[in-house]
Amino acid sequence: MVLLSAPRWLRNRLTDRFWRVQEVLKYARHFRGRKNRCYKLAVRSVRRAFVKSTKARREKKRFLRALWITRIEAASLEHGLKYPAFISNLLKSQVELNRKMIADLAIYEPKTFKSLAALAQRRRQEGFLAALGDGKEPEGIFSRIVHHY
Amino acid sequence: MAAAPFPAPSPPSTSASGSRPWRRRGGRRRPGFGSLFGTAAPRARPRSTGNVQRRLPRPARPGGFQPPPAESPVPSQRLVAKTSLSSPPWPEVKLPDPLEEAKYHAEVVQKVNEMIATGQYGRLFAVVHFASKQWKVTSEDLIMMDNVLEAECGDRIRMEKVLLVGADDFTLIGRPLLGKDLVRVEATVIEKTESWPKINMRFWKRHNYQRKKIIRNPQAVLRINTIDIFPSLS
Repeated sequence: MVLLSAPRWLRNRLTDRFWRVQEVLKYARHFRGRKNRCYKLAVRSVRRAFVKSTKARREKKRFLRALWITRIEAASLEHGLKYPAFISNLLKSQVELNRKMIADLAIYEPKTFKSLAALAQRRRQEGFLAALGDGKEPEGIFSRIVHHY
Repeated sequence: MAAAPFPAPSPPSTSASGSRPWRRRGGRRRPGFGSLFGTAAPRARPRSTGNVQRRLPRPARPGGFQPPPAESPVPSQRLVAKTSLSSPPWPEVKLPDPLEEAKYHAEVVQKVNEMIATGQYGRLFAVVHFASKQWKVTSEDLIMMDNVLEAECGDRIRMEKVLLVGADDFTLIGRPLLGKDLVRVEATVIEKTESWPKINMRFWKRHNYQRKKIIRNPQAVLRINTIDIFPSLS
């Protein structure tokens, strides 16, 4: 005998509510206040925490780069060079170390950083000399003779 | 006598009826009320005493003051007054003698070559460009890259893009890379796994919009075995 409709005492009831709640609360256990215990408060806090961590992963790159730049600036000022002069002259000398590396070298390899600063300083001086040119007066523009052939 | 910036126009001292003939010296006299109350003494206008050289102002010559050229003006011998544009804003630069410098450079290169050949260096470090990142690396240290590596676990790998190699007494800086006959960096692949499950979540408030995604990146761990340098500097 096949029963085509289920009897009234058979209901679909949620049996794993505990585990579903624990899934959210496990991320909130280190929070402060009632939001580490109460599900309703925890859901909101955990959601905000996830969104903030997603956005922070993009901002971490900006923040770290600013930190490296600050460190390189401090280290190059110890050697008498400013940060823009240091970086631009290193790039002009075809040294392609990135800021993370230069900051690490400034912390852990001071002699190497000193030689990099000396290299940048020398390239800067050569640039100044090249900018001055021969020292002759430039030829005039209106006094130039135009040839029409 | 310097060509000062254009001074305030001073009235010519020739005659009273110079540029403004309607103005006469001696104060203004207004008819009318004055005749009723009697003429008072003319108010004395403060006149400047002392030596005031009143001259017509000369047009300022560009380029500052320059004395008339005595001999043929060779640029290196001409005297130029010190203005804001007469010399470049950077301090004067003198490079050392190129011949002496070349000798010094050759000496240094030979010394470093000797040191490398005789092995007088301690621990070497290298800056290596690998997996689109730069790493400062010594022997026996671990590196974790956040992407896929086409090599099996246990393979020995040679890293070719070396930017810098250094020891305690010398550093070799590549412009931008060092030669493959100069440095050799070897590494072994230790493990290839996935990262911990990172959660990407987007949420707009009051719009009933939230998306949650769990990301697992493939990772690979390498151990740097050795860094070798060879005395092939020139």
